[in-house]
Amino acid sequence: MAWKFDQPLYCLSDEQEQKETLELWEKEKHGGLWTANNRLPLPLTYLIALIILTAFLVTMPIWGQRPNAAIYEGIVANMDSAEVQRLATGEEKINFLFQQAMATADSRLKGDLERHPLAWDDLLNIAPGIKELQAGGGKYPLDNYNVLGDRISLANFEGNFVEGGFRERKQPWFDKGMGIDMFYVAYFVIVMVLLIKKLPHYSRKPAMNKS
Amino acid sequence: MLMKYLFAKNDEIPAGSATIFFGFSSIFWFVVGTGLGSFNAAKLAFPDWVTGTELFAFGHMRQVHVLAVILGWISMAFGMTMMYMTPALGNTKLWSEKLGLWTVFMWNVGLSLGLILLWMGITAGREYSDLIWPIDLVVIFGVLLPLGINVWMTIAHRRTQGIYITNWFFGACIFMLMIVFLVGNSPELFNLTGLTEAYLTFWFAHNVLGLWITPVAAAIAYYTIPKLTGNPLYSHRIGHLHFWAIIAFYSTPASHHLMSAPLPEWLKSFASVEGVLILIPAVAFVANILLTMKGKWSMFVENIETKFSITGVLLAIPLNMQGGFQQTRAINWYVHGTGWIVAHAHLALLGMSSFLEAAAVYFGLQSVLRRKLYSLTLANLHYWFFIIGFCIYWISMTIAGLIQGAGKIYEVPYIDVVVAEHPYMIARWAGGTMVFTGNVIWLYNMWMTAREGTIVPAGRYAHELAYER
Repeated sequence: MAWKFDQPLYCLSDEQEQKETLELWEKEKHGGLWTANNRLPLPLTYLIALIILTAFLVTMPIWGQRPNAAIYEGIVANMDSAEVQRLATGEEKINFLFQQAMATADSRLKGDLERHPLAWDDLLNIAPGIKELQAGGGKYPLDNYNVLGDRISLANFEGNFVEGGFRERKQPWFDKGMGIDMFYVAYFVIVMVLLIKKLPHYSRKPAMNKS
Repeated sequence: MLMKYLFAKNDEIPAGSATIFFGFSSIFWFVVGTGLGSFNAAKLAFPDWVTGTELFAFGHMRQVHVLAVILGWISMAFGMTMMYMTPALGNTKLWSEKLGLWTVFMWNVGLSLGLILLWMGITAGREYSDLIWPIDLVVIFGVLLPLGINVWMTIAHRRTQGIYITNWFFGACIFMLMIVFLVGNSPELFNLTGLTEAYLTFWFAHNVLGLWITPVAAAIAYYTIPKLTGNPLYSHRIGHLHFWAIIAFYSTPASHHLMSAPLPEWLKSFASVEGVLILIPAVAFVANILLTMKGKWSMFVENIETKFSITGVLLAIPLNMQGGFQQTRAINWYVHGTGWIVAHAHLALLGMSSFLEAAAVYFGLQSVLRRKLYSLTLANLHYWFFIIGFCIYWISMTIAGLIQGAGKIYEVPYIDVVVAEHPYMIARWAGGTMVFTGNVIWLYNMWMTAREGTIVPAGRYAHELAYER
């Protein structure tokens, strides 16, 4: 390998290797076809970097996740209050409850509630399950459960082991699938750089009129 | 004639015979596949169309259409291109013309049997891997293995030191497809059920697309575009990037088809990132081919094979933009299980892939038969029926999918959604029927080319003579 200290990404083949490769490309045609030695245009190189960045950003666990059952805790707690019961329709009741919850929520809970609105009928369906879990009826704490339609279901995450030998089921801010991706992509980029830089430098064009 | 050659000595079989039989078989199956598609679409557009017979029920007919297109048209067109491109790129002849003919024979027999069984309702019951296990074994050992042996041995006996990029894809993709068939059908072979079955079903479906249909179609373009234009392929190094990015990023995201299933969330996150990274090979492929066109863009208008090829390459752009992003959690919850996905699947199979293969079949048959196309007018008619029909289909199903997504999310009564999407179902049928009509014209044109096409003089290519009388 002909690694140059002052030009680390110039070319990883020495002069003789580059010459031999170019001579081979000039000498042989594949059924009349030949390939040129151009580089990927620079804007497209940046585009690939942007694709890699985008791939992680658009798949961050905050997007498109099922709602955590704990985000409705406050709403369920207030649903039987006198001021809610005074309201005539389900729509008025749920709007009031959401406004009330939003007023006291931190920014994260606010975002969760905005992304996962509920109808009054949905609330009636999930409320008994949430109350049961709040009362300690489940194996895990309430925030380890998701709302799936009209059901409360144990979330499908595998976090750290917690007391009692159980795994935490809370949604992580960055899950291990994306951690695996980071290594995978890093290895791919390293291997591709090594592979492509072994080819003759892109400034050296094969002269195809020789064959 | 096929039966005669099956039992002849290899040296007595004219070179290119396997290409010709593969080529005509592929067009025949394209006519059958799109005809079935048109029939099925009519059932969705006009619910009273052919009722009362179980055999013609949508549930019986749908998978026959899907597999006739995938294993009949697309895969046999691949077989055809491998029979003529692999030896040409190695400056040699096909390793065994006889094995090629046996492969096309076994392929037609196995596929016919498999489709008849599916039609009768004898099915594995899994989408895309619907064929029952004995037919799967015929596909693996009676079709793919002989095809692979022929391609690998032809590459091994090449008269060049290097291997051209198209042959990297051909050799690797046949091997990978065999693995996909063996592993993907393991739920049936080993009676796996539940989530494992669901995962493996879509591992199969995803990889048939990702490690067979799209990369081999791309490999074909690496041959046809430089061949037709006379330009060198723009970049050997971008070819490396494309090939290895396919291997790395297309083989891994299978679980992004099951974003709502109770698979581990980390597996879905992993797959979803890889799903977006599919854009890397797509960028490499599209850039390499479009830059190869430099100085020859007039051929996109003038030359029928280039017209088909470049249309396929251009369709790869929306295909991968959709494919990369529709599988993320943020979008998938809306479009999953709707006509949007049907539109996307047709963009891949009927759009990008089929246009590239049609170009290769046009070019290959003329080259091997040494005959000029019987009618350029009919070929152009085929192109315009195909592209207009496809666009009608794709756009109408995309709109229908968005309506269905809205209906799903806002809990609109199902029958209201059916009523709302009805006009788009009629458009779908009209578009599909246009594609079918174009293919009937194509079959006639190629049949007449074989019988009455002007003989191409030595040293010339058929496509060079297209406008000469």
